[in-house]
Amino acid sequence: MLFIPPYVPEAFLTMYLPAIYAGLIVGFIATMAIAMKRQEIHILILTDLVGLAMIFVVSAVGTDLAEALILPGLVVELAETLAISEILITREMRIIEQDPRRNLSKSSSIFPQPFSLNMEIMTTAPNFIALVLIGYGIFLTGFTGGAVAGGGIVLYALSKKARGLPVLMLDGIAGVSGISWCLWIIGFLLFFVAPQYWLLSLFLAACGLLLKVASKVGLIGLLMREDIDKE
Amino acid sequence: MDFVTLGGNLLGTIPLGDIVLYVTPFNLFLFAVLLGFTLLIALSKPETQVEATMHNLNNTEVKVGPKEFKQRRFLSIICGIASAGAMITGDLFNFTLFMALVGILNIGIVSAVKQTTVLNSAFNYGLIAMMCSLPLFGGAAIILAATGTLSLAVLSQMPASPMVVFGAVLMLIGILGESGVAPFFASKAEMFRTAGSPFIVIIHLSSLFIIVRAVEILLLVLW
Repeated sequence: MLFIPPYVPEAFLTMYLPAIYAGLIVGFIATMAIAMKRQEIHILILTDLVGLAMIFVVSAVGTDLAEALILPGLVVELAETLAISEILITREMRIIEQDPRRNLSKSSSIFPQPFSLNMEIMTTAPNFIALVLIGYGIFLTGFTGGAVAGGGIVLYALSKKARGLPVLMLDGIAGVSGISWCLWIIGFLLFFVAPQYWLLSLFLAACGLLLKVASKVGLIGLLMREDIDKE
Repeated sequence: MDFVTLGGNLLGTIPLGDIVLYVTPFNLFLFAVLLGFTLLIALSKPETQVEATMHNLNNTEVKVGPKEFKQRRFLSIICGIASAGAMITGDLFNFTLFMALVGILNIGIVSAVKQTTVLNSAFNYGLIAMMCSLPLFGGAAIILAATGTLSLAVLSQMPASPMVVFGAVLMLIGILGESGVAPFFASKAEMFRTAGSPFIVIIHLSSLFIIVRAVEILLLVLW
């Protein structure tokens, strides 16, 4: 109790134990569900639920340090999910390669072959979600906003590419990135030179960072897609 | 327990703000051995397995292709460096992160093999590793909440409260699952049964060394 500053409200302090209990109970329920399920793709999805319970327990601490711990936790969780799903797909493809005529194994419910679904939601929803993400990112500004807006751009590019449509490649995306970098620098400089214009410099820096991160993330997504398509 | 009792004479500390790296002969030895092994891996070539064929008098070679070899060598070197980092770190959460990184890299090293049994084992190990990230990170977070610090140098001076013991027990479960030892070894056992020996051995070696270091860390936190 020594480490809690006096201005932290009592309500937040009492939330710690319920949050930890909630995390552990969610983890317990998820592991029970994994024990009952026999299909591998379901197990994989349920395992992600255990990872979310981990975020519960870490974020229950609620300090600055804990916030710094959530991000690597999330990244680790995401990387493990990606790696394991990749393993699952590779294994199923190897099994099909070895014996293309045999029946699909009962335990796995995935079938790693391309197939087309003719549903309206597959064509309209990605555009809408991308628009919402970009709008929300611009509203947030700063680093988080840039990441959200960049995620929207990546989603848009991925969904267009997956349908085989041409993606509008922005050749000037590096230029936008450079200009936003300048905005950021000018914002910082103004902040020190003329502190009375702090609001202007704050917005310059925030919008510069937004454009910078969004263009970077969008660029990574487009490049990644190009790289995969080459093989 | 003090780290002088566990690791021998204190050779020096490297203060990086809140995180204080401490250098004892114990840590230094583990660190140097892992770095040396990583160097060996970076220089070596993979072995080729010879398998007897069924119903025939032939032998088949299980070789590693050049592309797979490069990818595997890269991941093994990163795995070695991550384990070496886990040996020398003075921060509880850094240790858990190195631990999780080693887990992901272990899956990555065998991800491109052709044997479906190995892939099956890697899948099961990955599931266990992901489930065990809850007790691993959760335990570290509970220790942080109970003591207010993650620095091992500070934690070793503190008396253990019941909450710290609970966190340490959770962390132990997490470490056991992430490194695939004792109760969880069944998931990881088949992962080594493929060609490309020195790269496969790092999977084994990293989890062994991390267990040794984890015992030291848990003793530091608890006593």
